[in-house]
Amino acid sequence: MYFGNKTLPVSAFCQDQIKWASDASGQVMNVTGQERYGLLLPAVLLTMSCNLKFRGMKALLAMGGLLCLLASSAAAQTSSGQLTITMSVQSSITLIFQDNPSVGTTGFCPLTNAGTNNVGLDFGTAAFPGSFHTLACVNYQHIGTAVYQVSSAFDIVVSKSNSSSPNYRLAAQISTPPPANVTWLLNNVALTTAGFTTLDAADNYATPITKTLQVQVKNTVGAQPLLETITFLATAN
Amino acid sequence: MLKKYISIVRGAALVGVLMCGASLLAQTTASGVINGSLNNTNGIAIQFDSDPAGVTLGAAGTNAATANFGTVSAFGTLAAGVTRPSVTAVNFTVRTIFDVQVVSGGLNSLTYTLTANLAAAAPAGMSYKVDAITLTTALQTIQVNGAYGTDIPHNLDLVILTAAPGAGGPALNTPITTTINFTATAN
Repeated sequence: MYFGNKTLPVSAFCQDQIKWASDASGQVMNVTGQERYGLLLPAVLLTMSCNLKFRGMKALLAMGGLLCLLASSAAAQTSSGQLTITMSVQSSITLIFQDNPSVGTTGFCPLTNAGTNNVGLDFGTAAFPGSFHTLACVNYQHIGTAVYQVSSAFDIVVSKSNSSSPNYRLAAQISTPPPANVTWLLNNVALTTAGFTTLDAADNYATPITKTLQVQVKNTVGAQPLLETITFLATAN
Repeated sequence: MLKKYISIVRGAALVGVLMCGASLLAQTTASGVINGSLNNTNGIAIQFDSDPAGVTLGAAGTNAATANFGTVSAFGTLAAGVTRPSVTAVNFTVRTIFDVQVVSGGLNSLTYTLTANLAAAAPAGMSYKVDAITLTTALQTIQVNGAYGTDIPHNLDLVILTAAPGAGGPALNTPITTTINFTATAN
């Protein structure tokens, strides 16, 4: 190995107080004085008290220092952080109204805003005389000799999440008292404002349940809009 | 006698003036030096910031922040800053947005790469996503060209199975805490 004007053996170490070193051929070479071969980085590794006065050693050290510098600059700069997330999961159920698959046929009028939990169901206009009704999807009937009924069916779907509940019960309530001789029913169960009326005790989740909304009107009821909001309540069993 | 007294007084006065002058002269100059030194090193630093559209982070502005989603469910109400982008029969997702800001100094780097991993395996029934990348305990690359010195929003999604506890779903009504490690590396 040759650096500068001296041949250096690979085994030539830089040590204090050593006054000699041998080259590859075994020739003893005088090394004078104490000289420090220092590089900026890293000080511990490269600042040595050396007795070797070889230009080859200088070059070797310089090359080592350069490699160290390159290695230092090549090290990727990183920064780390931690984001800790906290939450609590709660079981829940939801109820939506859907059009029945038979929607459009008699007895299955379309809902407005279907697929949500807040829909509309319009029966159109109807009257006792002549079985008058304006919507073909409405199922119109006379009940007895003085009452007519309009009805339409729709589906209810209740879904659950994170719950071991096997099924749910379904109840309904009307929001305002209807005029005299007007009755709102679901599957022939009359609704009141007094409280929720149970419709089903154990319905299956995620399964459409078909319900028929009926309005019965006696022929003595005066002409007027009949409006009602019916609240459905599903409760996990 | 009087002359001798006057002479003594004059002598004393003269000595006083001379001493005073000497002392004034001694305080007219002073010198000092400050040997200033600075080792300007390079580096980058990451911090988490609250996003206006997300939950307010605890310890925002630091590299050890917290995000509390509150109580979450598939159908119930959610805390401010938490949204529910999807609900299926199998799972539902709740989301918040947080910001990451990385600052650099002494580097020629123009951008950074952001990686993340879960500090521990995800709890039962839960999985975690950052920008739609599902996290594991192994490092995942989130972003390869993040710009320094600006808040960059990231979606943090918690995907929760709808199954009941014991059937693969998460534990209910108990705090579930998970830590995500983020690492920014200068490009």
